[in-house]
Amino acid sequence: MRVATDIGGTFTDLVAVDEEGKITVGKSNTTPSNFEKGIFDVIEKADISFNDIEMFFHGTTVVINALTEKQGVKTGLITTEGFRDVLEIARGNRPDLFNVKYKKPVPIIERHLRKEVSERLNYKGEVEKNLDLKEVDGILDYFRSEGVEAIAISLLHSYKNSDHEKEIAKHIERNWPEVHVTTSSELSKEWREYERTSTAALNAYVKPIANDYLNNLEEKLKGKGAGKNNYIMQSNGGTSTFDVAKMSPINMVESGPVAGIFGASILGEMLGEKNLIVLDIGGTTAKCSLVENNNVKISTDYNLEQTQQYAGYPLKVPVVDIVEIGNGGGSIAWIDDSGSVKVGPKSAGAEPGPISYGQGGESPTTTDANVLLGRLSLENFESSTDLESIKKSFQSKLGDELNAGTDDLAMGIVKIANSNMLNALKLVSIRKGYDPRDFTMVAIGGGGPMHSQDLARELGVKKVVIPSTSPVFASWGMLMSDLRHDYSQTLLAKTEELSFEKINNEYERIIEDAKNTLSKEGMDESNIVVTKSLDMRYVGQEHTVEVTVPFDEMNVNNINEVIQNFHENHERLYTYTLPENGTEIVNIKVKVLGKIEKPKMSKEKRDVGEKHLGRRSVFFEESGWIEVDVYAKDFLDDTDRVNGPAIIEEQTSSTVINKGDVLTKDSYGNMIIEIGGLSNEI
Amino acid sequence: MKYDTDPFTYEVIKDSLISTGEEMFIALAKTSMSPIIYEVLDYACGLTDRKGELVTQGNGVTGFIGMLSFMVKETIDKYGEDIHEGDVFLINDPYKGGGSHLCDVGVVMPVFHQGELISFVANKAHWTEVGGKDTGSMSTNSTDIFQEGLQFPCLRLFDKGEANDQIIELIETNVRFPELSIGDLWAQVASLRTGGGRLKELCDKYSRQSVIESMERFLDQGEKLTLNELKKLPKGTFEVEDLIDDDGITEEQLNVKLKLTITDDEFICDYRGSSPQVQGPINSSYTGLVSSVRTIFLAITNSNQDVNDGAFRPLKIITDERSVFSAQRPAPVSMYWESMLYGNELIWQALAPLLPNKLSAGHLMSVCTVIMGGKHPDKDEDFLIVEPSVGGWGATNERDGDTGQFCVLDGETFNVPVEVAETAYGIMVDEYSMRTDGAGAGKHRGGPGVIRSYRSLTDNQFFTASFGRHKTNAWGADGGHDGSNNEFYIEKNDGQIDGPFGKYNQYKLNKGDRVVLKTATGGGYGKPTDRNREEIELDIKNGYITLEQAKNDYNYSGAE
Repeated sequence: MRVATDIGGTFTDLVAVDEEGKITVGKSNTTPSNFEKGIFDVIEKADISFNDIEMFFHGTTVVINALTEKQGVKTGLITTEGFRDVLEIARGNRPDLFNVKYKKPVPIIERHLRKEVSERLNYKGEVEKNLDLKEVDGILDYFRSEGVEAIAISLLHSYKNSDHEKEIAKHIERNWPEVHVTTSSELSKEWREYERTSTAALNAYVKPIANDYLNNLEEKLKGKGAGKNNYIMQSNGGTSTFDVAKMSPINMVESGPVAGIFGASILGEMLGEKNLIVLDIGGTTAKCSLVENNNVKISTDYNLEQTQQYAGYPLKVPVVDIVEIGNGGGSIAWIDDSGSVKVGPKSAGAEPGPISYGQGGESPTTTDANVLLGRLSLENFESSTDLESIKKSFQSKLGDELNAGTDDLAMGIVKIANSNMLNALKLVSIRKGYDPRDFTMVAIGGGGPMHSQDLARELGVKKVVIPSTSPVFASWGMLMSDLRHDYSQTLLAKTEELSFEKINNEYERIIEDAKNTLSKEGMDESNIVVTKSLDMRYVGQEHTVEVTVPFDEMNVNNINEVIQNFHENHERLYTYTLPENGTEIVNIKVKVLGKIEKPKMSKEKRDVGEKHLGRRSVFFEESGWIEVDVYAKDFLDDTDRVNGPAIIEEQTSSTVINKGDVLTKDSYGNMIIEIGGLSNEI
Repeated sequence: MKYDTDPFTYEVIKDSLISTGEEMFIALAKTSMSPIIYEVLDYACGLTDRKGELVTQGNGVTGFIGMLSFMVKETIDKYGEDIHEGDVFLINDPYKGGGSHLCDVGVVMPVFHQGELISFVANKAHWTEVGGKDTGSMSTNSTDIFQEGLQFPCLRLFDKGEANDQIIELIETNVRFPELSIGDLWAQVASLRTGGGRLKELCDKYSRQSVIESMERFLDQGEKLTLNELKKLPKGTFEVEDLIDDDGITEEQLNVKLKLTITDDEFICDYRGSSPQVQGPINSSYTGLVSSVRTIFLAITNSNQDVNDGAFRPLKIITDERSVFSAQRPAPVSMYWESMLYGNELIWQALAPLLPNKLSAGHLMSVCTVIMGGKHPDKDEDFLIVEPSVGGWGATNERDGDTGQFCVLDGETFNVPVEVAETAYGIMVDEYSMRTDGAGAGKHRGGPGVIRSYRSLTDNQFFTASFGRHKTNAWGADGGHDGSNNEFYIEKNDGQIDGPFGKYNQYKLNKGDRVVLKTATGGGYGKPTDRNREEIELDIKNGYITLEQAKNDYNYSGAE
């Protein structure tokens, strides 16, 4: 039996699969003061015996919570002489351009806890000034007296040569084994001292908390007879063992949200769909991401808490590239000072929620607009509200000022919500040079299936997939994941004067490192898959483009293929090339997967019941109100075809099939909608 | 106002227009060759309506907020009906058409949909080099515009899609780093094409009429928002004066003054009586002044709004002719921000006591530009640094000032990481730290300035810098003490110190010589004696102030 649990803001989800491929799902309340209670609750509720758990996968918000609530431990920093203020000076930028009362992020380590040692490397990584460990002793005494629990070590140019950082770490371990230590070079081998220091500081800040959490969970699982193999979901869309996660807990920062994106890529693999646009619409936000050739996109440009008005804290760790916007089912429609209609980012949340929930919500939301248009039924919510009171509140909050009737108002809100989401979808696709017509959309989250068909049509996407496990899709994704680690090493070199020996050795060293980590995690060498790539640019540029290196060794015969590949990618992204400028390598990158055998999937076992629930009036932009057929999702089988316009209902959500679209269901229970599928046949 | 497009479609079109500006902005940064563009983001991209009214702008720095529309209007004035699909115009004339200094080079492209002119897209970016007497095309001692580089008086660079190779060849021949300048030019043109393409798609989808109408409606909304905010401001006439350090040629301080009048529907900034234009390169163009005024005007009225020209309709700016704020040919302008910033600063000073929820105490008040070059020790090539410096900001009525931020005319501007600088340039940075001089005492403390040093690794390097607010200090507010000044000095290899200076042109540095750059600590807010004891003790512990300063400035009686 494999079990995945995912702690979300409101619910803790569970998906389990047994040896025959039978899937069990469960949901239980999240218990913020004591997260593991929620985990054990949901396992017991799903009637799973702890002794049967072979593999345990887990996604958790413990790291992101500690960071955003500033609840980490007292942390000290050791850095190069002359540079202790790098963490406070940061990059000097002011994203809120016209606000002269802008407040930049406050460093999480106070100035008196940022200490310097008089060592120095030059940009080549050569020692200019030796390290004197005696200086470290004085610093440790001060940290002890101040009650420091974790130490970050970040020295200038350590991405090039990490010896001094390692020596200090070893010295601390010898003299103060209880304190948690993080070196910047173990997390990031890329240049830019502020970003690397920030990453090390934040990792140190949450390390004791994450360790307590994982130790405690591990112990309790063992106590109950489970926990032979425990894995944590990381932000890069792969997993690691608990032991590796304890060293670098910062890799768990987006543990939950990425699992859904990863799950989509696995589902795509099973369905033979390599290129996907993933759309996840929840209560307060919509997330978009792109999967190309079954690979989720990773970047190291993550900024914690960043907004358009706030710089946030940089974390140079691999995170799945997600564009997230404040537009979900609960997003509130309102009129701004200039008289413009807006949808979101403010949300009615889970409580009181949209008006339709009947829990006291009074603000018009996207979900309410969908109810008024007949796309959702009030019966979905077991709500006491009626349509009339929703209409009344739409009129009083918006309609009177805009001089618009309820239908136009509701349709207008859906249009604006769709436009917001369309912009986000374009950011991950067209704006990066991808043609959406080559992609299939996977729609997840409660609001996904309601909007995905409109959006797919706008983008030119021909097919939408709505997974059978949609409500607990993130947990399902975890069950299917592999061990994964990403490495990036800055190595600046012009391609025309490249030393192949040097670069091949560097690759070899990183891969050796990676294999060691995986072998410590119990992975057999034969199941390890290595992918190499490079960050490249034209000489003189700053921003880089990633290019894969599909060769065992780079040499004079294949370098041109790599460069050609770079030109093509540059053209796709930025519409032009500069072949005469020369190219250079900035970072060399390695991704390693430790393949875990996938569970078997069994076919959907359907309950039998009345498929056709009747007919109801639904509003479409082109046609206005029309009567359409309504079907129950659970009772459709793989021989059914539903032609739009139609509505497919399930417990908390519904799928809108537009005129001209065709829905089928596969034997695993996934719904597949061909956009414009009907016209293709005629 | 009655509109044909429904409010929901309008909203969708408006959002698309805004994201078009942003997209042009990103496209330029990602392909630029110059750190001043991709790291400092010293550029702006935007689109205007058919008449050249700015509809939306993607900004990296605030200092370009008045310039794009003037560039477009200049193009319309000069070429009238002779503007065709595929044309691109090149412009950097400082005295008209949205000019600032010659380094800021603009491009303008008309956008047609099915043969009808619907809009202009434009951008303006700081080129590292446009020729002239000194490398980097900026000097603290130039005495006329001809010493400062190439002038592009709104030239037709592309004629119906065909590039004029002769202009490009002329540029290549006359600038010191042609691959940078020409690379940036292509990046700018690519950005225009991105914007033009989006606008056409938008017309295809929603009809040309709807898009044109939505632009006008957006401008009207901008005006309405500003008028609403003006009603909330204190009414009356406010007068202030300040001193600019000098013109870079003589040591004489220059007087500048403002008479500000706020009514229910107008915000009138009258700079008459300020110094006439001067011999040195600190003169500002009128559009430089406009940008600077608009920046603080937005800070006061509505800093979150989507910026367009409608928002500035109630704003009136008056100067004498040929003043230091409205220079005319052939006045030199390469360090124009040293006076331009005062357009902003005088309004800030006048209104800070009245609008404590919007305005802080005084900040470093200079771009603190550094231009430095020479040989790289390991590579057979020259390096060139052109960068602004970070410093201290003033405290506010709620909290201490920030440290290490660029001045108000920069914005989404990034410092160059030490690890990147040491790799690319022939220097070592010995220190990048906070200047904890204890200035700016107050109930809320001014943010400390910053110290950054560059040690030359080869002989025959040069160093030029312009650090304004050198002879005066950042000002305190509401009883807060003044902060400190901006300055730099040279520490020779033999230990001899030269300086401090506020400006220097082409100082010669040899291996082992070091320049030490110190920026101002911001002004304090409120009386220091009102600062609470825990904060004072923490300041001492963190080394922001000394025990001595705590006793003298804060009346601190020592640990209990």
